[in-house]
Amino acid sequence: MFTGLDIGGTNTDIAIIDSEIKTHKIPNTSGLSTALKKAGSSGRLVVSTSQPLNEILTGPQFNIRTITIPGPGLVYSGAIKGAVSHRGDIIEPIDTEEVKSLFKGPHPYAVAISGKFSVRNNSLEEQVCDVVSEYLDPEQIAVSSHIGALNFPARIKTTQINARIKPKVNALNNLIREVNADFFYVTSTGGLTSPDRALQNPSLLYHSSPATVANGAYYLTRNENCLVLDIGGTTTELIPIAHGKPIFEDVIIDGFKTLIKSVKTVSIPYGGDSCIRETLCPFRAGNARSFGGGEPTLTDALNVSGARIGDDDRSHVIDKKIADNIVEQYLITVSSAVKKFKPGIIIGTGYLAHYLLSEISERAKTTGIVPEHAGSANAVGAAVSRISILGYFHVDTEKKRMTMNGKEYPYYATSDDEELLAHAKNIIRDVARADGAPEEDVEDVMIQFFSSYEVVRGWKVAAKITDILLSIAPGISVEAA
Amino acid sequence: MTSGIIYDPSYLMHEQSPTHPERRERLSYTLDQLEEEGIFDIPEIKLIRPKPARRDDVLLVHSLEYLKFLEESSINGGIIDADTYVPKNLIHDALLAAGGAICAADAVVNQQVKNAFVLSRPPGHHAGRSNGAGFCYLNNIAIMTRYLQRRGLRRIMIVDWDAHHGNGTEEIFYDDPTVLFCSVHQYPFYPGSGRIEDIGIREGKGYNINLPIPAGSSDKVYRYLLEELIIPLAEEYMPDLIAISAGQDNHFSDPLTGLALTAQGYARLMQEICIIADSICYGRIIAVLEGGYSVEGGLPYTNLGLIAAMAGMDISNIREPEGYQKLLLQSVSEDAFPKVVKMVADLKEKLTSHWYFLNRSY
Repeated sequence: MFTGLDIGGTNTDIAIIDSEIKTHKIPNTSGLSTALKKAGSSGRLVVSTSQPLNEILTGPQFNIRTITIPGPGLVYSGAIKGAVSHRGDIIEPIDTEEVKSLFKGPHPYAVAISGKFSVRNNSLEEQVCDVVSEYLDPEQIAVSSHIGALNFPARIKTTQINARIKPKVNALNNLIREVNADFFYVTSTGGLTSPDRALQNPSLLYHSSPATVANGAYYLTRNENCLVLDIGGTTTELIPIAHGKPIFEDVIIDGFKTLIKSVKTVSIPYGGDSCIRETLCPFRAGNARSFGGGEPTLTDALNVSGARIGDDDRSHVIDKKIADNIVEQYLITVSSAVKKFKPGIIIGTGYLAHYLLSEISERAKTTGIVPEHAGSANAVGAAVSRISILGYFHVDTEKKRMTMNGKEYPYYATSDDEELLAHAKNIIRDVARADGAPEEDVEDVMIQFFSSYEVVRGWKVAAKITDILLSIAPGISVEAA
Repeated sequence: MTSGIIYDPSYLMHEQSPTHPERRERLSYTLDQLEEEGIFDIPEIKLIRPKPARRDDVLLVHSLEYLKFLEESSINGGIIDADTYVPKNLIHDALLAAGGAICAADAVVNQQVKNAFVLSRPPGHHAGRSNGAGFCYLNNIAIMTRYLQRRGLRRIMIVDWDAHHGNGTEEIFYDDPTVLFCSVHQYPFYPGSGRIEDIGIREGKGYNINLPIPAGSSDKVYRYLLEELIIPLAEEYMPDLIAISAGQDNHFSDPLTGLALTAQGYARLMQEICIIADSICYGRIIAVLEGGYSVEGGLPYTNLGLIAAMAGMDISNIREPEGYQKLLLQSVSEDAFPKVVKMVADLKEKLTSHWYFLNRSY
């Protein structure tokens, strides 16, 4: 049994997939515990939530201390002594007294520790982490090596975000574990991650909704090339899908590049809860009247124009002519955005898709499909996704060292690229299996990057250096298919 | 305005033999450092992909016979000297390296970037008009210089700070007053040339300046040469562009040479040249990678330091890690500086009739 739970802006959607698909919608006002109880404790539970990340956008500012170990190179703030070379050697130790001196004054809310080349050797970061642990709890300390990619400035920024939201993710982990110990999160790329991995790199949970919807739409329709149109409460998202997968892009936060990948979408600021104040406004001011709100919204306009959504009697506070105009305004905006993609087919998801998609597809001169359970496609997507992992390997035959995301793994002596690749693939498979991935889901390991060269000293080959980026790509779990 | 980095993964492809020291590893480490520092995300840096040089461009410098020799040897392989083979398909890699320098010239002249660093392989400064040598096939910086002149620039100053004398570049411009060639190199050392007596011939007399320095020369020596000769020469010559044959094999951790420059010393050198270029030639500088084999030590952050200096970034953290301090102390020789002071005095005497600044009484 697969259970998916998507915590949205207004409601929490639940999909329970067994021999058939059952879906539920629970307003967020009833609390997460209610939704978790409804989801039950049997089978695999997958949670999709952007709540911890929303903290950075809307929550209060906290004092996050940044500690960097830059070694030789550009100037970074928060720098302390210590250096790891491009080959992953420690060429300058840290000074523990220097680290301790940082904690003489009031302690910060959390600490972000980033070392240059830590993805090739994380030991300096870990040493600093050990010193900081004397002053703060583990969930208040984030280190950068788990992010697993070169780009020090982006890793510093991502680690700061991680430090900011790590306490929230930890609290969420504990809350969900009380109900179901066997659970996963959906990441921003639509793959699943274990709660422990999410705690190491909380930014994985950034804005997972579009990826979740894309997986759900694909699972419900099996259309490999299409445009998913997700009509939610506050926004309408356009998500292009090519070869069964959405398109990914780097996330920029506060003008800084991060190492977070997210699904590319076009977001239109209108949804079912967008309120009507003479015209349709790009914001929400409570629920639709037909769901107990005070101000009329797009949903109410649809009811006045003939639909029956919720308690439709409450919607009739606006003129039919105004309502028709409002719906028309929405259709024009969305269909012109859809047209730009020139989609062969559009798949509607979200609870208003049934009422709006045929008009939109007609105006955009394309075919529209609204699958069964379209209203909870997000939760369905969460339920059926599979575990995904990204591993950055660095192998040095002279130092007899093999690291994945900075952590040392047993070295395997070979100068053959194929053998080494097979070994690295097995390591990433083991990590995925340990996280709970079924055998079929780990078979396909994708090689994102491979580069190797020989080190020559005195006209002799002294070593071979290999960098490999492997991934178990996001997608639909074989078990659910 | 921005700095250009001219680079293409194809620059990693050239290989003379599996154990030759002039190899892809040299660039791979530097690129790792640039990637880790997020250099390509910085708005002041523009990555430019090179295009191969055309035969016409090459023939501005090299003889047709030599170009044909390279083209023909590239089919089945060949030999130039004991350290320089012609591997199969060499001509493609050599043309792409020269083409990188030409792309840099276009980017600077067209004002897309203020200055540029060409991260190319194979290097070029030992290649003469009709011969290759010392890991070099086509003289990238010479081809670029002639190209720049064809695009309308009149005088070019070439500063060659590779640890080895740029004998190929010297030969090409030896009689040419429109190119001021100035080479700082370890002496005596490969290729054996580069004496202070060699100051050019005919119209080119006085426009070829060799600054031979002994092993163990440190940051202090380079600073002295810059202040005593290189900057005054630039100010008097007033070039339209300063080209740098940038060999990073003067770094104290380079296993093939005996010089003792630090990464900070390199970055400051570049910073000073940027300042002088700003005042005399609108900041136009093009650095072309030559040697530099300290692949396991200082090369990555030295190249980073040069790029940071060119882009006007803070270079205060371009430093040596604690683990290299002992090696640095061993590499620096206190005897070097007095020898260099004497060499400069001798050289100035030979150049007095060619340069006004040497006759100033103040």
